[in-house]
Amino acid sequence: MWFKEEHHLPGVTRTSSGLARILSRKGRVALGAIAAASLLILSACSTTSAPSSSATPSQITVWHYTIDPIQAKVITAAAAAFEKTHPHTKVNSVYVPYDQLQSKLIAAAAAQQGPDVVLFNGGDANTLAAAGTLAPLDKYWSAYKDKSQFPDSTLHYYNNKLYAVQGVVDLVALWYNQDLMKKLGIAAPPTTIDEFNADMAKAKVAGDMGLTVTGLPNDQSEWQAYPWLTHAGFSYEKPTAASLASAFTTAQSWVNNGYLSKEAVTWDQTLPFQQFLTGNVLFAENGDWQAGAAKGAKFKYGVVPLPLGTDGRLYLGGTGNGIGAFSKAPQLAWEYIESGTLSKSGEISALENIGSIPARLDMVKDPTVTSSAITQGFASLIGPNGAKYPSAAIPPKNVAGVQLLVGQTWSAVLGGQLTPKDAADKVMSGLNTLLKK
Amino acid sequence: MPTMTSRTMKKVGRRDSSAPSAPRKRTRRQIRFVFVIPATLFIAIFSVYPLIQLLRMSVSDVTPATLGSNWDFVGFSNFSKGFAEGTLGTVLSNTLVFVGIVTVLGLIGGLAAAISLRGSARGTGLLLGLMVFIWALPPVVNGSVWKFLLGNTGLFNSMLGLSGTSPIGYLYNQHLALFSVAIVNSWAVVPFNALVFRAAILNIDPEIFEAAQLDGARPFQEIRYVIMAAVRPTTLVLTVLTVVYGFRSFDFIYVMTYGGPGTVTTTLPFLSYLEAFVRYDFGLGSATAVITVVLVIVLAMVYARSVRREEREL
Amino acid sequence: MTNKRKSGKVAPVVRGLLFVAYGVPIIWIVITSLKTSGQVFNTGWGMIFFSPNITAYTKNLHGALLQAGLQSIIIATGTCVLVLLIAVPAGYGLARTTGRIPTIALGALIILQMVPQTATVIPLFQVFGSWGLLDNTLGVVIADTALLTPFAVLLLRPFFRGVPIALEESGAIDGASVWRIFRSIVLPIARNGVATTATLIFLISWGEFLYAVNFFLSPGRYPLSAVLAQQITAFGIDWPGLMALAVITSIPILVLFVATYKQLRDGLTLGAVK
Repeated sequence: MWFKEEHHLPGVTRTSSGLARILSRKGRVALGAIAAASLLILSACSTTSAPSSSATPSQITVWHYTIDPIQAKVITAAAAAFEKTHPHTKVNSVYVPYDQLQSKLIAAAAAQQGPDVVLFNGGDANTLAAAGTLAPLDKYWSAYKDKSQFPDSTLHYYNNKLYAVQGVVDLVALWYNQDLMKKLGIAAPPTTIDEFNADMAKAKVAGDMGLTVTGLPNDQSEWQAYPWLTHAGFSYEKPTAASLASAFTTAQSWVNNGYLSKEAVTWDQTLPFQQFLTGNVLFAENGDWQAGAAKGAKFKYGVVPLPLGTDGRLYLGGTGNGIGAFSKAPQLAWEYIESGTLSKSGEISALENIGSIPARLDMVKDPTVTSSAITQGFASLIGPNGAKYPSAAIPPKNVAGVQLLVGQTWSAVLGGQLTPKDAADKVMSGLNTLLKK
Repeated sequence: MPTMTSRTMKKVGRRDSSAPSAPRKRTRRQIRFVFVIPATLFIAIFSVYPLIQLLRMSVSDVTPATLGSNWDFVGFSNFSKGFAEGTLGTVLSNTLVFVGIVTVLGLIGGLAAAISLRGSARGTGLLLGLMVFIWALPPVVNGSVWKFLLGNTGLFNSMLGLSGTSPIGYLYNQHLALFSVAIVNSWAVVPFNALVFRAAILNIDPEIFEAAQLDGARPFQEIRYVIMAAVRPTTLVLTVLTVVYGFRSFDFIYVMTYGGPGTVTTTLPFLSYLEAFVRYDFGLGSATAVITVVLVIVLAMVYARSVRREEREL
Repeated sequence: MTNKRKSGKVAPVVRGLLFVAYGVPIIWIVITSLKTSGQVFNTGWGMIFFSPNITAYTKNLHGALLQAGLQSIIIATGTCVLVLLIAVPAGYGLARTTGRIPTIALGALIILQMVPQTATVIPLFQVFGSWGLLDNTLGVVIADTALLTPFAVLLLRPFFRGVPIALEESGAIDGASVWRIFRSIVLPIARNGVATTATLIFLISWGEFLYAVNFFLSPGRYPLSAVLAQQITAFGIDWPGLMALAVITSIPILVLFVATYKQLRDGLTLGAVK
């Protein structure tokens, strides 16, 4: 009976006073709940007053994906340039992580909201335009006095309307460790694949790593694989299993010969370069945007074209600039883009802080471009080897699917999950459906 | 004394069955159903609606372009597309292996931890704190830590390197990757199970333990006959929750291997994510999610059946 | 007290293993947070022996972080309160009713949990948009509550079933209403389970970031979980910064746990007093 007595209608037998009841455990919990609830209501009330995404003309909102504090100087510089000529309008720069940017834009568009300006990965322009998150730029572009400065690869059209323009170009090349090269007795960086393989063999013998590339099964692998695929004769216009098999064989040989660690399948584009910076790696296939990180290297380094000759193609990526479809101040948004990202000063800011190559034709001979060996190394590739990103042969709604398929297969090849022939067949059968118009 | 022992023995794993008149019991029970109403309303609005949308999307053609407007009905082609593309078979088996490992290791680990942490031995509080701290950390952090620890230059391979063995590709060896990610996921789930098991163990009437000791039971028998029986309902719930968690888990895969190498660590939830948020084919992604839900419905039926059996014991 | 009794020689071994399994990663996090970006890739003994510095912490400790912390507290507390308000009665109701409907309800709860979070973001975004709950803490709390209520109900039900029905019936005989019985008899006994569930709900909603990231349109309103998620990007991961941020954002959790652990332990003692 002891159990029953303990809990027999405590309300009746307890002699606690009101105060004691408040201070009892249950009372404290109740107080806490009331406090929390009032905090909540207070905060809910206070939020409804502030405007959220798009603007009254006193403020425009810019969504971007730059987090690195040095790279973010580009964003602050663009905002400052705009505010100088528009003293009554503030720029609200909102950082959105790279892999969330698309889904946030699309979710916002579904609720008919969105920013005024979007700075995004140019290659995603089709997806974003198709989702209705961007406004057409045609009427602003036709009135733009500098429009002839921008090559075709920097303009993104969807359904014959212009939706995004790039102020810069990003591409990949071969970074090399000059000190390590000297130590291994290599006179000059390789210009053919045979020289490339031979150099990496020397590195392996000495106990160093030959190469780092991306092997993560996503679009970043497709981006880094493209030069090798095209060098072997592949194109999305005319895909063939033979060219794919040849390229995959080369790639798998790097792993089998020990030049490239199989761990690459877990690397995005950042980790391989961080590996390169430790000083034990001879070559790294990576992009111009690593210029800032490269400055921290404790060895001498340089950049040369990937040893592809004239056949290989390099995707011309870069930040795309667009106007949000639900912007309430599209004209101001365009002026931000014009002064902040498409202008010469905007492009120089991107070059100095990120390393991206200016897209304007009148910047090609600019001293800021020609004076840096690294920049020049990348810039000189745009003409001969540049290719539109993504390829125009892929129907817009299948771009992501194609990139995922090729990326996963590249990863499977490096990881040894598939033989080159099986990998080539897998890609071909997937492309059969995905490339159909 | 004898009365107490028999009553306390009855409490273990069974419900007290002293009954007042039957009709009064039934009316009582109906009234108590009112308690469920607030939750039902809330869930109807904020949980059921998204589920309905999911089902609708799985039989429609939904892309970002058509998201805001009407969706074209396409019947089961989203489902057959998934099978036709060939990856679904691999993904299904990956998922079953993954969920199996996470459930088994998560439950056994959780129970073992709870049993060894039920007292107030030295360091119990600190250890519980450590475990909850880890569990409360976002998967992003936990996954990144293990990605480092398991890497070629990480802790494990460095220790192996001391003995001259070449590094093991925990996360990129196609035979090991899935197990590695599943084990890390189990590790992340154990603290939760331990906490809940522990609460259940602490609820066991201390008299039962005393009675068992008086009967001369050794620790192992204590565990087997007293603890295991008492935590049976908790085990049931935690099994369900852990299996559901395994079927939904994708954060660790995302951070550690991104489904790779190739598609070796791609499970159903990860595939659904890839289809919906990388390929932006919401219809396809929803279809994959629906397949996952169907698999779990089977589980839900098993749980519901055992709940009915529980009640028949009353 | 029985629980003080040692459960054989196995328990300390298990505890030792757990210490290693959960202590090593934590040590790793703290060590990495004290490194510079370059030192992160040290191999061999350099992994453990290096010259530490706290730049990762000083870089990240600023006013905005405090605001994010407050936001996290509001969201986690609000979710916890709301979930308990509706899930505790529901757990009790489902524990004490029989029939087809409760069984179906339980099955439905499990199914609802199966809906991936990523699939609920867009429909909820539309709902909140039309109700003006976007960019609003209350919206995130509602979303988190909807996410966690099925889980909480499923978790609470066995604890309520563990309350001996004889007690409720004796209360009924004494003329107490159903609500009175629930409040005065059942809740105190199921206290352990409610407290455990509350702790879990708080912790989960503290770490939840998908809804926070999508329903808050301005970064100024991000809670700590979203700030942490922002550190992982495709173009630059600041490993020391990420780990430092992880340590900082987890300290409030640890404080909470230490505080409630004492209460949980005391609550246990109270319940066992004869």
